[in-house]
Amino acid sequence: MKRRSFFAGLVAAATVTAVATGSLAADWPRRPINLVVPYKAGGGTDAYARAISAAAEGVLDVPVVVVNKPGSGGLNGANAVVRAKPDGYTMMMTSGGSFLLSTMMRETKIDALESFDFVAQVGQLKTSIMVPKDSPFQSVQDVIDAAKAKPGSLRWAHSGRGGFHFVAGLGFLAKNDIEAQDVPFKGGGPTRAALIGAQADFGFLGVQQLAGFEEQLRALAVNSKDRDEIMAAVPSFGELGVPFAAVSSPVIVFAPKGTPSEIVTKLETALEKITAKPEFAELLVKRGTGPVYQTGSDAKTGLTTMKADAEPLIAGLGK
Amino acid sequence: MEIFPALLSVVTDPVLLLAILLAAVVGMIVGATPGLTASAAIAMLLPITFYMPPLFALAFLYVIGKSGRYGGSIAAILFNTPGTAASAATQLDGYPLARLGKAGKAMKVATISSIIGDFMGDIMLVIGVGFIAALALKLGPPETFAIYFAAFVVIGSVIGKSILKGLASALIGILVAMVGLDPISGEERYTFGSFELSNGIGLVPLMIGVFVLGEVFAQFEERRKTANPTEDDTREVESNKSFDDGNSLTWQEYKPCLPHALRGGLIGAGIGVLPGLGSAIAAFISYGEGKRRAKNPEQWGKGALEGVAAPEAANNAVSGPSMAPLLTLGIPGSTIGAILLGVFLIHGIQVGPTLFLTDKELVYKLFACGIFGIAAYGLIGYFGATQVARLILKIPTQVLYPLIFLTTFVAAYSARGSLFDVTVMTFAGFGGWLMRKYDFNVAAFVISFVLAKGAEETFRQSMLMSDGGALIFIERPIALAFLLVGLAAMAFRIRGIMKDRKLASGGLEDA
Repeated sequence: MKRRSFFAGLVAAATVTAVATGSLAADWPRRPINLVVPYKAGGGTDAYARAISAAAEGVLDVPVVVVNKPGSGGLNGANAVVRAKPDGYTMMMTSGGSFLLSTMMRETKIDALESFDFVAQVGQLKTSIMVPKDSPFQSVQDVIDAAKAKPGSLRWAHSGRGGFHFVAGLGFLAKNDIEAQDVPFKGGGPTRAALIGAQADFGFLGVQQLAGFEEQLRALAVNSKDRDEIMAAVPSFGELGVPFAAVSSPVIVFAPKGTPSEIVTKLETALEKITAKPEFAELLVKRGTGPVYQTGSDAKTGLTTMKADAEPLIAGLGK
Repeated sequence: MEIFPALLSVVTDPVLLLAILLAAVVGMIVGATPGLTASAAIAMLLPITFYMPPLFALAFLYVIGKSGRYGGSIAAILFNTPGTAASAATQLDGYPLARLGKAGKAMKVATISSIIGDFMGDIMLVIGVGFIAALALKLGPPETFAIYFAAFVVIGSVIGKSILKGLASALIGILVAMVGLDPISGEERYTFGSFELSNGIGLVPLMIGVFVLGEVFAQFEERRKTANPTEDDTREVESNKSFDDGNSLTWQEYKPCLPHALRGGLIGAGIGVLPGLGSAIAAFISYGEGKRRAKNPEQWGKGALEGVAAPEAANNAVSGPSMAPLLTLGIPGSTIGAILLGVFLIHGIQVGPTLFLTDKELVYKLFACGIFGIAAYGLIGYFGATQVARLILKIPTQVLYPLIFLTTFVAAYSARGSLFDVTVMTFAGFGGWLMRKYDFNVAAFVISFVLAKGAEETFRQSMLMSDGGALIFIERPIALAFLLVGLAAMAFRIRGIMKDRKLASGGLEDA
């Protein structure tokens, strides 16, 4: 008797939950959506989140609130979101490349490809090789020649070991068979300042970091096959015929695993509309970036490919 | 001088002036409330500013930052709680003054010194923004490390009577600072497999624990030991009696503070130029340097007004010059700076060397708003804060300490919304209590904790940059200069100690 009522209760509870979840998905969104950015305010990914939040008006009925949860190379925020209630009101926007690489290089239970549902990609951050304005290096070839002439004498700056700039730099060195000593700085801003002050011979930093600093820095090449659409004046490794590692960072919105698929689809459609708005592009272009929309499944495919590309590089780090 | 038309345009805009006034009040309240920090308030108010024009948004947040730094001194003096990290040095003398019933006097000294420091910083910013930016660029890791070294030595003068215990406290601080991710390799150190520890120990929970909770524990113990209920009443009577003179401040009293405030202003403005050192370090350096030069160093730490003036002027002076690397290089010198940077970007203003070409007018108007903000919090603080002090001091200790006890938990949690921080705070509280009990130096512990991270990072960056190991510090003139400053200060101090020893032993022989 007791057992039966227990099961009845269980069934009732399950039914109620199912109905509640159903209605949850149907009238989503009803309250503000928290968009967690696992980096400090003011960075490249943060700029995308802010632009989404500003351009969401009119597409989503509720505000999108950007919440910065920095720390542990982006894993802090990811840990918070992976445990969040999958009700469609907590999402994460992160730099997919750095997120993937940090889950590969650090001990963590999070798997960038499996621990979250992919909602959509809204942008793309590319890294590039830059030198101070008064550097003797005029081209990528100059850097390679100098490194070959005196192996290990050059110093290069980046925004922290484990990030995609660092891995891209390592890939560039390895594929061109040259050696140079890396000097990590904390984040993109300090790296740029260090390079302007000629604290290193060259650096790997986001190509968008050149915007507004054209008089202080010279970008020699962007780390991709083709030129960047916004920073179009910078040549690409691909067109220069310089070997490079295809690491970049798609800016991706993730949902906690178990979020109702109707909600994920709704948000995916909403993000497509938001990224197509001219205001969104306008907010980004001043920062040297632009909208790059891809569906959740395409974003996942892209990240899976990048994982395969990065694996030999990371294995080469000797870990 | 672009600042004058900017000042004029701000003064003729009543709505903007109202916003500045509001920001000054908000900043003071959050700064003075333990657990609410100006940076937390700014982060919370950030969404509202999306709907404001850029100048309003920036001025609002900039002034909150300024007045919040000042507001922190109120909590430091009254509750021995650093309302902000920057006011941790203020409590060294501020709280003893409050216990002597001179809280109002201490707060007036803090207000005047903050204004002096803040004005000095802003004047330096307005005049030398371009120069500051150029200077900041010249400071690479080796130079920054040399500055850390010099700062460490100068601050060393707060290490109290026992040199051995002072050094031990400093070493423990360094050890605790090492917990977390290695700044260069990104590997985990001393984390014992805990994910939370991989983020390192937060400064705010550590400070609240060591300074406040540790003090509360010490008070509990004291009361149990004495078990004397009349002690409390005497304190109240005493404070009431001395209130008339404890609250007002005469020129004669402030006069000896003035040189400390001016020196603090210079130190703070200098530190502000260097991105990343921050106002807490400025305040401690100013306190250490002030104590070293003071005519009455034995009074410092027991309730010297000068000991409030020196750090308060310094921590506010950081505010202005730290805007220069932020605006021209995009390097935020503080959390508030990082958030302000975000505001610029949200409003589509590209921060960088071209900012002064594209948005010069806006920038100078922002500077002008800052100057009005100083005046606003200064006036409210001078006349208002003492009223608050009068009210708070009426609360008997058996009510006040439990209240403070509760606040520490709220404060530790609310800074980052993390329960782990509460754990850290509790452990730090026991640690702080034990350190006090066995005469270790709590201030030395916290200062080395603050300095160690940056010093380690810049030292190892320098090593990576150098072809000849430590030679890089000698090859670079600015780095060398700061190293020599540090060594000279050290030699000076050793000589002083030797002299004291000789005097002491000589005195014994006479007896």
